[in-house]
Amino acid sequence: MGQTATMTDYNAMSDDAFRGEVRTYFEQHYPQDLRFMARRLRWAEIRDWYFTLSRKGWIAPNWPREYGGMGLSPQKMIIFLEEIERWGIARAPDHGIVQVGPILIKFGSDQQRKEYLPKILAGEYIFCQGYSEPNAGSDLASLRTAAVRDGDHFVLNGQKIWTTLAQESTHMYILVRTDTTVKKQAGISFMLLDMKTPGVTVRPIRNLAGHEEFCEVFLENVRVPAENLVGELNRGWTIAKALLSFERINIGSPRRPQYALKRLAQLAKSKGLFDDPGFVDRFTELRLDMTDLASIYSRYVEIVKRGEVLGQDVSLLKIWAMETWQRLTELLMEVAQEYGCVAGEIDIDGVKVDVLSPFYYSRPATIYGGSSEIQRNILAKYVLNLPS
Amino acid sequence: MSEPDDDSHAALLAQSVDDFVKRGTSLARVRKLRDDPAEYDRTIWKTMAELGWLGMLVPEAYGGLGLGLSEAAIVARGLARELVPEPLTAAAVLATGALVAGDNGALQQSLLPQIVAGDLLPVLAWQERAGTLDVTAINAQAIAAKGDWRLNGEKRFIAGAAGADGYIVSVVSTVAAAGLELYWVPREAEGVALRLETLADGRHFGVLTLNDVLVPAAHRVAGVAVARTVLDQAIDHAAVIVGAELCGVMGRALAMSVDYMKTRVQFGKAIGSFQALQHRAVDLYVQQQIASAVLEEALPALDRKPDAVTRAALASRVKARCSEAGLRITREAIQIHGAIGFTDEYDAGLYLKRAVVLAAWLGNAQEHRRRYARLVPPEFE
Repeated sequence: MGQTATMTDYNAMSDDAFRGEVRTYFEQHYPQDLRFMARRLRWAEIRDWYFTLSRKGWIAPNWPREYGGMGLSPQKMIIFLEEIERWGIARAPDHGIVQVGPILIKFGSDQQRKEYLPKILAGEYIFCQGYSEPNAGSDLASLRTAAVRDGDHFVLNGQKIWTTLAQESTHMYILVRTDTTVKKQAGISFMLLDMKTPGVTVRPIRNLAGHEEFCEVFLENVRVPAENLVGELNRGWTIAKALLSFERINIGSPRRPQYALKRLAQLAKSKGLFDDPGFVDRFTELRLDMTDLASIYSRYVEIVKRGEVLGQDVSLLKIWAMETWQRLTELLMEVAQEYGCVAGEIDIDGVKVDVLSPFYYSRPATIYGGSSEIQRNILAKYVLNLPS
Repeated sequence: MSEPDDDSHAALLAQSVDDFVKRGTSLARVRKLRDDPAEYDRTIWKTMAELGWLGMLVPEAYGGLGLGLSEAAIVARGLARELVPEPLTAAAVLATGALVAGDNGALQQSLLPQIVAGDLLPVLAWQERAGTLDVTAINAQAIAAKGDWRLNGEKRFIAGAAGADGYIVSVVSTVAAAGLELYWVPREAEGVALRLETLADGRHFGVLTLNDVLVPAAHRVAGVAVARTVLDQAIDHAAVIVGAELCGVMGRALAMSVDYMKTRVQFGKAIGSFQALQHRAVDLYVQQQIASAVLEEALPALDRKPDAVTRAALASRVKARCSEAGLRITREAIQIHGAIGFTDEYDAGLYLKRAVVLAAWLGNAQEHRRRYARLVPPEFE
């Protein structure tokens, strides 16, 4: 499969017509049994969908059409994302689409674009993200994995951790230290690594939910061709920070917890809890926390639709969305009473519900992508302008 | 409301509010009026009339600006930042809104121009008991008296009553088409007695007693056919504008706290450098942003005149969120300031006390959340 430029100009369609086409396609083609999954799907489960979208030309809605994407305007992109959420479509391994593609388009060489973009579109290259290290979590810039130039190669030594689905990825985009003598942010470079390179060892880590989704990756004298450096040497921090607006608001989407809220409502109804004013008070408070999240979310969506750059204040979205989600899963657990500790999907008074999965999966939501505490630091420093 | 002028009206109003708060009012004035049973200043009220604020929701035919809640919110929010004590929401939104929506054209013709000019200050006396927004939960009565009406009853929680010139009173009429009606009752009418309850912020709730008060049929603001709708709408709209006031109050209280954190030095550093306090301030900022997002989403939606359930649900969301956030931010402002925050001399307390009043008036957060739950059942599928 080569680089098939999408012929349709979706931006020329009316919003309603575009939404209708996307919705119909999703409803007709997305596997029913994979809707609203509580966990990350494995490549074996989701790859058919990836290939389906790829053949349709819809796998990279955010990429320009000349690179095989849909070239959606911010307005249309929001609609596309809304329809994904509405239908409960699971997240495929999308780092190549969301991160690597746009980064190569902006910072990469022609050669890199030609080599990687078509293979990402085709699902031939699956990327994982090599950022965190055992001693570089929230303080990511202190990462130590070393890349030392040796002729036409960089030689990598070090360790990455919390690398989601590394065991199923063909490639890693990785931040490495290329200068130890300067300010920590100024000595980091961005590279692409083939996971089959000798010296790469992947060890999956079992998470609280019982799944092996994240991994440790050990790098021992791994030789990476010098042409795999993306952008300039020691400019990796800037490249990694150039996050897309969509990613920054998508994490705060109010639709993510909708399914859990409906399950909670069903369960509460079957238990007669809506006759209990104490429960109704707590439930309504949570519902309004989510409804009001939608109000502030749409404020940011409008900014993105206008093509404007989001400010640091968008951090508040992640804090509120994720903390609200956690409280929702906690109430679900409480309402389930003794069933609240039973693993897997169970039938409680006629309602089929997995109580523990949402509870588990909402835990790291306040840790990954910048913990709630880091988000608060960002708001304190850049928005409230408090001293350090 | 004429669409193309929306933005220019908003900009002009914002400018007039800015000018007014710089020159026309101060916290010293607010403090002085705290001890005054008159509660507010009728010369300032006249100024507000000249700025067009008293006629924002009044049709142009009656001398008003014919604008919407979006514009009223700009003014209310701006004035609340400086704790302006004049009863803009009580008179120009709640009472005037009821009169405008009523079905007595002749009475509108005679009263509205005086209201817009600031010469007549009306308040709405609808409530008799705490803890309900049900406008029919009343005992006040109107009994037919030879073509006129005789009113009896007691009304409570009447904001702005201290210096009002008259009251729009809800009663149940006891004739054939029995039901809720609204009457205009001038302050000086015989049988009218007003008692004042002092509120946290030094303002007052009026307790109005009507003892065989004789009113002509011509003073019926709204008849049985419309009175309930008129009241429900006026209360929803006023609750939203109170939400705007709360946004003004919390915005100023938060700014005050953050400024204090930057200047107050302990342990050799500005206390704003301590992470525990930073995160505390950020949580307040998050609540403030959510409150203002809910308000800003509700205002244009309400100006598009939605059905009654949508309107009430929006109003409840705004009042619940703004009350909760307003109270939290002003409470924590005291904590962030430390002991100085607990003194009467320092301004943080003024903001807390105003938030306490605004949060309680027209239904507190809990009450509005419960109403929302009744109005909008949860989704099960």
